[in-house]
Amino acid sequence: MRNLIQKNYFRYLLSGVVLLCIFSMGFTPIEKSPAGLNSPKDDAKPMPVYGHWKNFTTKDGLPSDHAYCVRIDGNRVLVGTHDGLAVYENGKWTTYTTKDGLVHNGVVSIDVSELTGDVWIGTLGGLSRWSGGKFENFTQFNSGMPNDLVYCVICDGKDVWTATAGGAGQYDTYTKQWEIFTEKNAPMHEPWTYGVSAGDGKIYIAAWGGGIIEYTNKTKKFKDYTDPDGEMEIDLLPDDGPVHDITTATSWANGMLWVSTYFGLSSYDGTHWKGYFDTDSGLASNFINFVRAKGPVVFICSDKGLSSTDGKSWVTYKKNENNSDGMTIIKNFGRNDDSTVVHTTKEIPSSPAIAHNFIIGVDADKEFIWVATEKGVSRGELLK
Amino acid sequence: MKLKYWLFLIVTLSILNSVSVLNGQDKKLNYGKAPDEIFPYDKFIKPYKYHFLIPITFTGAGRELKPPVNLKEVRIGFLGPLSGSLMVQQGEQMLQGATLAMEEANMNGGYRNLPFKLMTHNDVGLWGAAANEVVKMDDEKVWAFLGSIDDNVSHIALRAALKLEIFMVCTGDPDPTYTETNIPWTIRVITDDRQSIYSLINQIYQKDGHKRVAIIRTGARYGRVAFKFFSENATRVGHPIIIEERFSDGETDFKTQLERIKGTNPDAILVWGNAKESALILQQARSIGLNQPVYGSDRMVSPEFLKIAGKNSEGIVTTCQYNPESNNPKLKAFQISYLKRFGKEPDVFAAHAYDGMKLIIESIRKVGLNRVLIRDVLTDLKTFQGYPGVTGNIALDQSWNEIRDIYMAKVSKGKFEFTPAPPLDMKQKRGNSTGIY
Repeated sequence: MRNLIQKNYFRYLLSGVVLLCIFSMGFTPIEKSPAGLNSPKDDAKPMPVYGHWKNFTTKDGLPSDHAYCVRIDGNRVLVGTHDGLAVYENGKWTTYTTKDGLVHNGVVSIDVSELTGDVWIGTLGGLSRWSGGKFENFTQFNSGMPNDLVYCVICDGKDVWTATAGGAGQYDTYTKQWEIFTEKNAPMHEPWTYGVSAGDGKIYIAAWGGGIIEYTNKTKKFKDYTDPDGEMEIDLLPDDGPVHDITTATSWANGMLWVSTYFGLSSYDGTHWKGYFDTDSGLASNFINFVRAKGPVVFICSDKGLSSTDGKSWVTYKKNENNSDGMTIIKNFGRNDDSTVVHTTKEIPSSPAIAHNFIIGVDADKEFIWVATEKGVSRGELLK
Repeated sequence: MKLKYWLFLIVTLSILNSVSVLNGQDKKLNYGKAPDEIFPYDKFIKPYKYHFLIPITFTGAGRELKPPVNLKEVRIGFLGPLSGSLMVQQGEQMLQGATLAMEEANMNGGYRNLPFKLMTHNDVGLWGAAANEVVKMDDEKVWAFLGSIDDNVSHIALRAALKLEIFMVCTGDPDPTYTETNIPWTIRVITDDRQSIYSLINQIYQKDGHKRVAIIRTGARYGRVAFKFFSENATRVGHPIIIEERFSDGETDFKTQLERIKGTNPDAILVWGNAKESALILQQARSIGLNQPVYGSDRMVSPEFLKIAGKNSEGIVTTCQYNPESNNPKLKAFQISYLKRFGKEPDVFAAHAYDGMKLIIESIRKVGLNRVLIRDVLTDLKTFQGYPGVTGNIALDQSWNEIRDIYMAKVSKGKFEFTPAPPLDMKQKRGNSTGIY
């Protein structure tokens, strides 16, 4: 027996080592594939790429370089800044402030009602409806609004939804009544809400520390989505749910819900969650201020540039630190025949680039993209 | 062993090492000084992603902005519970600590002969109000602000601070999740409940050998977050808590909850709440024959608790973020000045607010009147790392959270005695999270 063992020593050792390797791999998480690689076939339209950037600052007529949000409204563009609402029309900027009737000069969110054309303006000190050239103002004291700091406002049919530090508010423009949703009547951990979006008959609220709160208009029922591991300091498993419970914005389009956090990006197709980090996708940064989905593409406002993706390809726009030029970075992920993951990166210089890398707001239509940054507003043209 | 076996072993070990590196996080560090035994999921699986190991860089604009001309004062904000809250007493102490630091700075020339001025704001304690107060501070053009105590207030203020880019120095909120928001516009210079709970877990289960612990805690967020944290960690060391009872802030009759606890016959009881309720709970627990050892949250460390609990407080064990009886000359001088100025002893909130306000003042003196530069210097983890405050030397981790060692506080002969918290008996196989404490 002893001889037998000695003779086969090397074989036993080899077997043991192989088993040890297998076990050590088995007890560690499965390496996550880069984003969007579940579908082997890539028959989607190519990602839109924007260029020919034109930047606007106070020198061009903006009330402040610190822009919080941007909304395209037909032939005009509405920009929220720290010092007022700026409207770009026929090549000129016009500013509106409290002197014109705006509730507060710090404009952090804007949406336009498809039903009425009214502009709803969320500010640091209340909500304004801009209709027929007049501002109607809503505050905690003169209405049932949850809090004066309106981080996000959206229009959904006759309803106007706000995300505030004191809860989410739903304003029925027909009955002129507010309904407030907090931890007392919705599945929120706390009432702190920072983003809200609509789509598919549902409202998606980004709740600080509470993940995503989904409200179905028809049934008036809530459902929440939170990070399954329940821990702040880790993301236990990839693609098991939202990447973190501290959410900053939501946006729904084309059957996909996109959720931003300061820890990464998530998407949800109604069945599966997918997580994206700057280490495993083309995301410019995990610190994401805002997202806006347009069709199959989502635009991601991060602290290190503007990224966009359809879940497979990524386009990121960045500015150089020391001059006005920058780079458009295109990353495509795919699989070889042997299923190994590959990605290609193409960098296209842009001159000038976007105004600043700290992006807070974005909107796009068929021809242009508008970007709100910490140091000006940028407009890019869709490159053919 | 033959050479070929040695070679084979070396190659194999190299492969195994590379497998573990490929499948894991790039840095094997524990966040928040968490021992391996109680790091979430650590016994079973390695997380896909660890957060808070690298500080977030603020990449926004504003560093180039010149200071305004013709200023008559340098405004610094204060946010705290000053009326309409159960925490008014603590809020006043916090305000007085901050005021003392500012008065001393003004006696020493202010900022380039401009006086510092405190812009005081009451956080009210209602949901969302803190956000409006931070907006007011922006309108007042404060350069930074100090606040607050209630975790609901601090979270709301912090998010507004990010939007408005005003730096917030937190000196009173022990909620671990406060700095776990990844917002690069704050530091916290008071140790959080994470450190208190690690020490209590160590004391209750490892040192004192208890196994069946009951918890009675406030239903407020302060108690909810702490309970979750304590409960998870107790389970991880093998002793899930046996019963959780809640009460409301301001409640005075706890007999129903205590009777339920009595029915479970625990080894020990943990009380988590404000000083007054904790003292009443202790009184009522003893009156129904619950004579088990009682542990508690750091809010017990107050004259109010000792006064109400009386003799029942004897032997109570809790934690404290600093040692108020330390021989630190700075602390002694602060205590004398505070007593002289306000006619009372400073508490933990006053002492930490004093340190926090000194940091804000020092940062302005170093970099001038620019909010982003003030942010940069307060978060660079160099300039103020080890800063000798009256509460001890500041030690921030990568999430800008205070992680210096805390103290155990035990009532003996009617007063708290403070001793350094014993080192955790659990291993940190991966090493320290920052290496700076």
